[in-house]
Amino acid sequence: MTAAPRPLLVVGGGIAGVTAALEAAEAGRDVVLVERDACIGGRVLRNHHYFPKLCPPTCGMEINTRRLERNRRVRVLTGARVTACREDGGGYEVTITHAPAYVTERCTACGACTPVCPAKVKDPFNLGMAEVPAIRLPHPHAWPKRFVLDRAACPDGCHACRDACTYEAIDLAAVERTETLAVGAVVLATGWDPYPLERLPELGGGRSPDVISNVQMERLAAPAGPTGGKILRPSDAQPPRRVAFVQCAGSRDVNHLAYCSAVCCLASLKQAIYVKEQLPDAEVTIYYIDRRAPGRNEEMLTRVAAMDGVRLVKGKVAKVEPNGAALALRLEDVDAGRIVRAEADLVVLATGMVPRSQDTSVFATVIDEDGFAVERPGLAVAGVAHRPEDVAASVRDATGAAARACIAAGRSA
Amino acid sequence: MAAIPTLLPSHEFREALRRRGGDTASRCFQCATCSGVCELAPDEAPFPRRLMLLAQWGQAERLAADPAVWLCHQCNDCTVRCPRDAKPGDVVQAIRALVIEKLAFPGFLGRLVGAARASWPLLVGLPIAFWVALLAATGHLAIPVALPQHWAYEQLVPHVLIYSVFFPAAGWALLAAWVSGRRFWGLLAAGGPPVSFFGGVVPAVSEIATHKRFASCDAARPRRFGHLTLLWGFVGAAVTSGLLIVGIYVQHLAMPLALTHPYKVLGNVSAVLLVIGATVLVANRLGDGRKAGAATAFDNYFLTVVALVIVTGVLSEVARLALTPEFALAVYVVHLGLVLCLFLTFPYSKFAHMLYRSLTMVHQLGGAEASRS
Repeated sequence: MTAAPRPLLVVGGGIAGVTAALEAAEAGRDVVLVERDACIGGRVLRNHHYFPKLCPPTCGMEINTRRLERNRRVRVLTGARVTACREDGGGYEVTITHAPAYVTERCTACGACTPVCPAKVKDPFNLGMAEVPAIRLPHPHAWPKRFVLDRAACPDGCHACRDACTYEAIDLAAVERTETLAVGAVVLATGWDPYPLERLPELGGGRSPDVISNVQMERLAAPAGPTGGKILRPSDAQPPRRVAFVQCAGSRDVNHLAYCSAVCCLASLKQAIYVKEQLPDAEVTIYYIDRRAPGRNEEMLTRVAAMDGVRLVKGKVAKVEPNGAALALRLEDVDAGRIVRAEADLVVLATGMVPRSQDTSVFATVIDEDGFAVERPGLAVAGVAHRPEDVAASVRDATGAAARACIAAGRSA
Repeated sequence: MAAIPTLLPSHEFREALRRRGGDTASRCFQCATCSGVCELAPDEAPFPRRLMLLAQWGQAERLAADPAVWLCHQCNDCTVRCPRDAKPGDVVQAIRALVIEKLAFPGFLGRLVGAARASWPLLVGLPIAFWVALLAATGHLAIPVALPQHWAYEQLVPHVLIYSVFFPAAGWALLAAWVSGRRFWGLLAAGGPPVSFFGGVVPAVSEIATHKRFASCDAARPRRFGHLTLLWGFVGAAVTSGLLIVGIYVQHLAMPLALTHPYKVLGNVSAVLLVIGATVLVANRLGDGRKAGAATAFDNYFLTVVALVIVTGVLSEVARLALTPEFALAVYVVHLGLVLCLFLTFPYSKFAHMLYRSLTMVHQLGGAEASRS
């Protein structure tokens, strides 16, 4: 065999995909990393802090991007999707479709275009909680550090950004293009979407601006978020006095997601700390079915449970209804054995994670009954694409997936 | 050192619950969504979560004494929202059937009706056969030769036969219900605060007459309408029967009454209500499974007997007016048998919910009454 071994394909540039790509590359493999967004980092970068150490995810991502920059074996394709896949004996032949590059690699992220842009769009990085110009840096820690243009939002005939750009980095006529690659094996790390709030109307989801999801709470607490890191009620931009966390909102529920999403208990405990740090007088109540804090996470549970002004109440919230400016919650307090009618200014629904099975179908992946991808030889799966897990577990998982993909590709090379 | 209380799970009870349609109780993980959505659950003693736990542990004694079993109207709001598909509505329904059996007097009749899945041919067939035998023995299985054109059923089956069967049957049912009711009242009252029985009766009757509580159940709007219509149909039919006795023996009215006679009008209006109510309830039972709840043999037995009593009753009147006396007699005998079946199995069938739920509401409202005075 004289032909160079085929590269590995990693699909998804979140923490699992980036980790898998780096581990394989550092083990000596060529890797192509495909990410549908304009920059890598995925869901993790939208968190304010990780649990249980409560450090910002930007720090860990910075280490990873530095590893990427130093490693010539990883080719990172952002704004790209795998749109076709064929098994060819030596692995897979895949078609990769690149979104039109309206902003090219010549972009220096100088920022001259943004002030002249007349169009506003809902900021996807902040989950639609803020408006941003159609041309902008996706977020302060974007890698590659390059602006993006939401072309669909451009007014007819507008080319203000192109005129403002001194680097000729804007191509308003850019078109989609495709390329074909032969790869030895695949790591699927296609990640997840938050369970939609609108599917939980009985818990106030989609019915009140002050009923938010846990991922939105991360953005409220984050300095790069829509409120500059201040926890404020969406309806009136006032700090909430009473914050209620509703655990298992659409999880462990055959009417929604039948499985436990594995991270929401810790996420709410973490967010209770955000609230108490910013608003020491706020009353925080976490309504739960079970408190799932395995391993060393239990320390965080103990710590939060002991905090002044934080209560953990056993009982699944059954109803959340707007009641004037506040929100009325109804549940049974299981320990007390009575119905509780509580009021809150802000309700955080601890919604679960839905695997993006739509992104894995091109590989004819077997999907289990909950929507998670099932691994097969030559097609390793990492992160939440195949089971609900937290960041630390995803990273460990990605290393294993990278190893299995290397082995599979080595066999076929 | 204080004794540690021990809880002995009853496997027999859990097995019985499983057989009677409450097997999904084992899926419950005690999240309490059910209690949170229940509009009928009292704030200080919510259900159904507690009942699900007691069912899982086979706590038959506690369930028999728990008013929540009867405060539940099986609207199935809980079943619709249950995250484990544990169907609390069905489980509590199965618990009610087992409590009826447990409190039945005499016990073997409770077990016989409780096993309606197997015993229904006996339960329905025996009373019908009894009527056929009684009419044969008294020479009333044949159509009298001199039957006038506008005949009355009295000319086929003398009233004295009706009285001699139904008064003892009703008396027996009331006696059995009284014994079971006393047992149940004792369980409800044990260790609790004082309750004013008579203080509770008036508000309970007023609530039952309007089905006020049923109205707060989201998932059960059509069932409330059907149930309320059926209730008033039965009340109307009972009042008509009483008025007819007055009519025959006090007013000496000639039978059959004209269709325009007020008693006849009341009877026919009641029949219409019964038909509408039963149709809605049967349609509901056959409709959306999750909201309607599981149909067990015990439930189906009762609903079928009620529906057949109504069908044969209406058909008897139609037959008298428009069909042959032979056919009319055949339908009427079946009708009499089914009514006898309904009377005799009242304390043991699902019909007994009338007794237990009413007593529970009297107890609940009487307690409020006693604490107010």
